[in-house]
Amino acid sequence: MIRAFALAAIGIVAPLSAAAHQLVVFASVDCEAVTVEAKFSNGKVAQLGDVRVLDGLNNLVLRLKLERDGTARVPLADVDHTGGLVIEVETGDHDNYWIVTPEDIARKCGS
Amino acid sequence: MRELTVRLGAGLLAGCAAFLFSFSAVEAEDRPRVVAVNAPLQYFAARLLDEGAEVEFPVPDGVDPSFWRPTIADISRIQGADLILLNGAGFATWIDRVSLPRSRLVNASAALKDRFIVTESITHSHGEGGEHSHEGLASYLWLDPLLAVAQAEAVAAALTRKGLAPGDAVAARLAALRADLEALDDAAAAALEGAGDVTMIATHPRYHYLARRYGLSISALEWEAGAMPSPEDLATLEGLVTQTGAKVLIWEAAPPAGAFAATEALGLQNVVFDPLARSEGPFIEGFAASVEALAAAVRAVAAN
Repeated sequence: MIRAFALAAIGIVAPLSAAAHQLVVFASVDCEAVTVEAKFSNGKVAQLGDVRVLDGLNNLVLRLKLERDGTARVPLADVDHTGGLVIEVETGDHDNYWIVTPEDIARKCGS
Repeated sequence: MRELTVRLGAGLLAGCAAFLFSFSAVEAEDRPRVVAVNAPLQYFAARLLDEGAEVEFPVPDGVDPSFWRPTIADISRIQGADLILLNGAGFATWIDRVSLPRSRLVNASAALKDRFIVTESITHSHGEGGEHSHEGLASYLWLDPLLAVAQAEAVAAALTRKGLAPGDAVAARLAALRADLEALDDAAAAALEGAGDVTMIATHPRYHYLARRYGLSISALEWEAGAMPSPEDLATLEGLVTQTGAKVLIWEAAPPAGAFAATEALGLQNVVFDPLARSEGPFIEGFAASVEALAAAVRAVAAN
C-alpha cells in the first residue's frame, strides 16, 4: 500500500498541480477587444487585481485594474496584437495568465 | 581552371544539399503533426506512428513540463497540430491557460479516472477565506507500466480515429508496445520484490503510481530537481528519516557533488530515478535503468 505523502504533516508546501493554483484567468476575444475574467477556483470573483498585457515580444503594453466583477477589457485598438498577447493577472497572493495567439484573434475576426 | 572546377563542384553540391534539405523540409511539413505534453506520450505516439508523422514534445531542455510556461509562438504552433496528446490528471498547467482546438485534443488518461491517486492537501490561506486546503492529483501515471499501456491504447485509438495512420498498422505497433510495457512491468515487479519492506523518501512527490504498483513505501519532500539541498532541507530530511525509518533516498535528478555524502551521513542509500516526464532517451530503457538502480539501492540496504 502506498504510504500517504506526508507533506502537510511535516509542513512542506508543495505545488502539486493545477488544482492547487487558486486564481483562474480566462480571456475571450472578439474582433474589438480581449475580455479578461479572473476568479478563484472556489468560484469567487477576483474583485481586486492588476492586469498586465504583454505583446508577442514580451513587452508590457498595457496595465489595467480588474473591475469589481472580476473582468477587464483590453481594446485591441490600444495594443499591438499582431504577435498575440499575454494577459497576466495578479491579485497579491495569487497570479495566473492567459495566452492569446494571433490565430485566436484572426479566427474571431473571420479571417 | 582547377579552381573553377572545384568551385563548380562545391556549388553543385551546395545546390543538391539545398534541394534535398528543402525537399525534406517540405516532406516534414506535409506529414501530420502530433504534439505531446510529456516525453512518455511522445514515445508512445512515435512508436505507434513509426515514421508516419512528426511527433513533437515542445518543452525546452531543462524545463519541468508540468509547470512549463509556453510562449505565444509555442501555442500558435501547438494550435496548428493535427493532434494534441494530453496526459490528464492535472499534468501540464499551461493547457488551462490557452485556447486549444477541442476536436484535436486527446486526454490519454480519460478512462483512468477511477485509478487516479489523490494527493494530500496543501493548507494555506488567502483573502478572507481563512486557512483551507486543496486536493491534488498525482499525474505521473506512466510510472505504473500498466497505466502506461492504457495511455498508449488511448493514443492508438485517437491516431486511428483521426486517420493519421492505417488502423491495422497502428494495431500491430500497439501490440508490440503493449508487450514491451508488460515485460517491463514483469521485470520491475521481479526486481522490486520485497522492496516494500524498505522505507524510502523521494526528493519530490513523483512516484505515487510506481509505489502503488510495486508495493513501495515512499514519503516525499519538495526539493528542487538537481539542486543542492540547503541546511534547512537536510534538517527536514533528518526529521523525516527519524519519523519514518527510511533507508533509501530517491532523487529525480542527480544533485551537485557533495549532496550524496550529506544524505549518506543520515544513513540513506542514494538513488537517482528519472521520472521520465522529459527524458531524452527511450521510455522503456529509461524506466528499466531506474528500476534497476532502485533495486540495487534496496539490495545495498539489505546487505548492510
